[in-house]
Amino acid sequence: MRRFIVRRTLQTMVVLALVSVFTFLIFQVIPNGDPASRMAGRTATPGQIAAIARSWGFDRPIYIQYLHTMDKIFTGSVVSYSQQINVVDQIKRGLPATISLAAGAGIIWLTFGIVVGLLSTLRPGRLLDRTLGFLALTSISAPVFVIGSVLLYVFAYKASILPSGGYVPLTANPWQWFEHMLLPWISLSLPFIGFYSRVLRGNILDAKYEDYVRMARAKGLSSRRVLTRHVLRNSLIPVMALWGLDFAGVIGGGAILIESIFDLQGVGQYAAESIQTLDVPPIMVIVMYTAVLVVVVAALVDILYAYLDPRISLNG
Amino acid sequence: MSTKELLAPASPPGEELRIQVGAGPYRLALRRLRRRKGAVAAGVFFLAIVICCLCAPLYARYIAHTGPDDNHISATVIVGGHRHNVVSLIGIPIGPTWGPRFLLGADFNGRDVAVRLLYGGRNSLEVGFSAMAITMVIAILVALFAGYYRGWVDSVLVRLLDVIWAYPAILLGVAIGTSLTLGGISLGPLNLKGGSLYIPALIIGFVNIPYVAKPIRGQVIALREKEFVDAARTLDAGGLRIMLTEILPNLSSTIVVFVPLMIANSILLEAGLSYLGAGVQPPNPSWGTMISDGVRLITSSPHLVLAPGLMLVLTVLCINIFGEGVRDVLDPRSASRGVRR
Amino acid sequence: MKRPIPAKSWWPLAATTMLLVLAGIAAVAASAATHHRATTSVTVDTSSPPNSLDPQSGYTVSAGEADWLVYTPLLTYAHKSGVAGTQVIPGLATSLPKITNGGKTYTLTLRPGLKYSDGTPVVASDVKFAIQRAIKVNWGASSFLLPIAGAQAYLNGKSTSISGIATNDSTRTITFTLSSPVGDFSNVLAFPATSPVPQNTPMTVQTTKMPVGVGAYTLQNVVPNTSYELVKNPLFAGFHIPGIPVGNIDEIKFQIVSNNLSEAEDVLNNRVDAFDVGDAVPSTLLGQIQSQASDRFAKETVASTNYFFLNQRIPPFNNALAREAAAYAISRSDLARLAGGFVAPSCYFIPVGIVGHPTAPCPYPSPNIAKARALLKQAHLVGAPVTVYAMAKSPRQEEGEYYASALKQVGFNPTVKLVDSAIYWTTIGNAKTRAQTGMGGQFLDFPAPDDFLLLIDARNIHPTNSNNFGNVDDPWIQSQLVKLEAVPSTKLSTIGKQWAAVDAYQAKKAYTIVWGSSQLVKFFSNRIDFASAVFHPLFFDDYSSWRLKS
Repeated sequence: MRRFIVRRTLQTMVVLALVSVFTFLIFQVIPNGDPASRMAGRTATPGQIAAIARSWGFDRPIYIQYLHTMDKIFTGSVVSYSQQINVVDQIKRGLPATISLAAGAGIIWLTFGIVVGLLSTLRPGRLLDRTLGFLALTSISAPVFVIGSVLLYVFAYKASILPSGGYVPLTANPWQWFEHMLLPWISLSLPFIGFYSRVLRGNILDAKYEDYVRMARAKGLSSRRVLTRHVLRNSLIPVMALWGLDFAGVIGGGAILIESIFDLQGVGQYAAESIQTLDVPPIMVIVMYTAVLVVVVAALVDILYAYLDPRISLNG
Repeated sequence: MSTKELLAPASPPGEELRIQVGAGPYRLALRRLRRRKGAVAAGVFFLAIVICCLCAPLYARYIAHTGPDDNHISATVIVGGHRHNVVSLIGIPIGPTWGPRFLLGADFNGRDVAVRLLYGGRNSLEVGFSAMAITMVIAILVALFAGYYRGWVDSVLVRLLDVIWAYPAILLGVAIGTSLTLGGISLGPLNLKGGSLYIPALIIGFVNIPYVAKPIRGQVIALREKEFVDAARTLDAGGLRIMLTEILPNLSSTIVVFVPLMIANSILLEAGLSYLGAGVQPPNPSWGTMISDGVRLITSSPHLVLAPGLMLVLTVLCINIFGEGVRDVLDPRSASRGVRR
Repeated sequence: MKRPIPAKSWWPLAATTMLLVLAGIAAVAASAATHHRATTSVTVDTSSPPNSLDPQSGYTVSAGEADWLVYTPLLTYAHKSGVAGTQVIPGLATSLPKITNGGKTYTLTLRPGLKYSDGTPVVASDVKFAIQRAIKVNWGASSFLLPIAGAQAYLNGKSTSISGIATNDSTRTITFTLSSPVGDFSNVLAFPATSPVPQNTPMTVQTTKMPVGVGAYTLQNVVPNTSYELVKNPLFAGFHIPGIPVGNIDEIKFQIVSNNLSEAEDVLNNRVDAFDVGDAVPSTLLGQIQSQASDRFAKETVASTNYFFLNQRIPPFNNALAREAAAYAISRSDLARLAGGFVAPSCYFIPVGIVGHPTAPCPYPSPNIAKARALLKQAHLVGAPVTVYAMAKSPRQEEGEYYASALKQVGFNPTVKLVDSAIYWTTIGNAKTRAQTGMGGQFLDFPAPDDFLLLIDARNIHPTNSNNFGNVDDPWIQSQLVKLEAVPSTKLSTIGKQWAAVDAYQAKKAYTIVWGSSQLVKFFSNRIDFASAVFHPLFFDDYSSWRLKS
């Protein structure tokens, strides 16, 4: 077990190093994105551009630039091209909105996903199961920004019961915070609810007919105890693992679409705006943090699985 | 949205999967599929959508009398006996006329939404299919090599997969997309201009590789322990040959199940990327760019978002229903899914 | 049988109620007694935040609007609407500059007794420091400072100060020596970037704590990309500078938002006091605004030029007939409709409101599709491929798409390439892009004709960051520009006709296709006195002129 943990940790380090290089390289390919020209403004002279390039280090060889960038990222002193402001400060400013979105939606989709999944397994193949299944498939098939736009249109513009965007901090006004977060939560959760309910349903139905369940039944244990004790535990574990990864993804900017539609000014929206203005430092920092988060969570999930099922640590 | 482990979530990772190797699995599956009316209907509907989109030029020429890029800002159209501006004096476009011209209304530039919907469908579907093809080919190759040879080949490939998998798909897609759509790519034989449709296809295809490669790799690992592989090895068959003749055919049902899933995912990801401006480049229509353009005017002209939005949902839903049907009939454990109890 | 309420259970209730009522009355009385004159404050929403509020770095519209009230330069503009606002008046200087030496020497004297908002006295050498700082922190318009002798050497790091600026702190004089006469140097001295700042101000762009300045307001609570505030400077009124208002409202709070629709709704419903002038009012709300708030909403035409540039160095627009065909292809009214009606159509580069705007009829009345097609056929360029560049921002994006559609109608083979607004200018200004045609636009830096015609000045053709996107290089235009630019801006009206002749010439040659001037909005809540609020030709919303309705 310990060997497994060590091995997994080493693998994680390698992946993280590769992630940093890969992220850095992506942004070297941008044509016409010469940041020195952009910072110099419209009426700049070649001399001014050269001066900027020198002061930012754009004229140094690429591996030196990479090391500088990594150093700045680790010390949290990355400065954006567009307004020369500290990127980490901006990210911190956007975190409350993103965390509110992720946490709220995460709880909603996990709860409802489990509930809907369980309901579908009560009488498999019957009307309830088929209807829920169809609804689930529909919610997976709709892009989040379509769901978001339509909800926005119906509830914010047509009926005017909910605000049309923006974020109010929880500490400033809890009720308004809730009002502003409700539609984003629903939009973000719907596809996940559909997906998780299908996964859970599949797990439970498969488990029902697994050998060890049949054994337990043969032993005479009641149906309900079989369900709750063996089946549910084994079915929920993959779902929880999935949830951890999805949650990490959403925090890190995976909710970029929802934040843009509802103007939540969170980390995802900051990423979207930076990408569109080709402001490389913020997007690099955000992408890096997200990837790190996902990789770390994935490693933890693997270790957890290994703990629960020793066979995995042997196979690796 | 990711597919994650939609195929094999029930068993803890590492358990061998039961593979059915027998005569005529496809004949059986096809028979079972035919009995599932819902899936068949969805498949037929999807085909209808594809055909409609392919007929876009016919619609444009004979019914709407306009192309997808033609602006008609100061034109007028007769609806219900009255003459209306296609685009009002303050820039608000007309809604659906339900007539041959501007059937679903006009957009900001006075372009026919129905025509753009069909042309956009062509682009969205083309990107979706191409991306799926790219994902499947590369993922299968990677999975075969990694799973069969194991050792350091496997380690390297899996680490590379992990790197791609670490980024949320949409974030990675937008990051790469913004760089490439500006200047295009020229890497050796691959030379694409900035506006080419193959750039979003490449990006989406690339981003989705880990979600297919990892599960298939798991299957390859399980398969290579099977007796028929040992038999082939004793007959002195080389690694490549074994991969192609013994292992690959047994992956076919998994592959077939993945295909509709990846088409659906690719179309959704393309819509998301185009919405953020990093996928199909306007003015090339695609359902994603149409929604992106339309969101701005949603309060006065909801049809600009609803038309492409509904088409998107409908198309992807049909693929998903059909895909679920295919999976149910091909997956040997489908009997336990208990749909026909 | 109804039980009577026991006597002892209701009087605690009655007593409590009476106490509450008394408490309430006491509270109201107390608040009335301590009522004092509250600070007046208004809120402004904007979705086009300043690129920077640092005076030596800001050059976008919202930066200028705030900075010119906080950092008064040596010279400034009259705080009036319309053409009257284009007049240069003394700011921190005692009078307009003394121009000698054939227009190469400008001498000014600083007013006595000036102090920054923190009480530090202002000295003449602070001006030289500020200009050096502007060059050091790469102010976006610092090319306007390069005509000062020694500025180029300072930029290249070859000297530690600008030799062409001489100051004397005891006599408070500042003397500028230019390497060649520049007619609108007085306008350059009216940029907030040239206003003095204390010499202990760091030589890096300030993002949260702004330098102090001499002005009616100070900048407080600056949170980048989120908010900032203008707060009245109590010291300013004591200087009695004529022509510069001291401001009526105590605090003006700016919030950066990203949704124009909710921004407009907030102003319409009086939740926010002003809609930022640089933002576009969504057309979906226009009808409602015009019916419900017509007394606090107005469209103001500003001196700006929206045009399509035509690259003269590469096909097809190196051919004059092709250029004329393109000129005949567009419909200015269609383009105005795309901008939601916020464009005043025009065909000349120098806009209305600036000296030198030609009054002759347009040389290519359009649209004339038949004529355009004939011209293209004559040039043997039917089907010529053209890439149209446009900004990926509404309505510029739609305008670019319309332009491409119009070109297609007359026989070109266009494709549209949308580029994000952050890198648009550097993309089309890069010779390697080989942009054949696309959207161009110019908002005035200062109200003089050469601020516009510099876009067709051959001296502004650079391999990167070029401003002359069409690579216009006409010898007659060059000779005229050199001649007219030497005349000081104080004598501008005498050469108006000659400027107009240059503009009419370039229009006839179809070097550019001008289609209109932008209109911006003046849109307030019902708290602000709409009529008395000045809409300045250069700085638009003059916050120092705002007052609350009594």
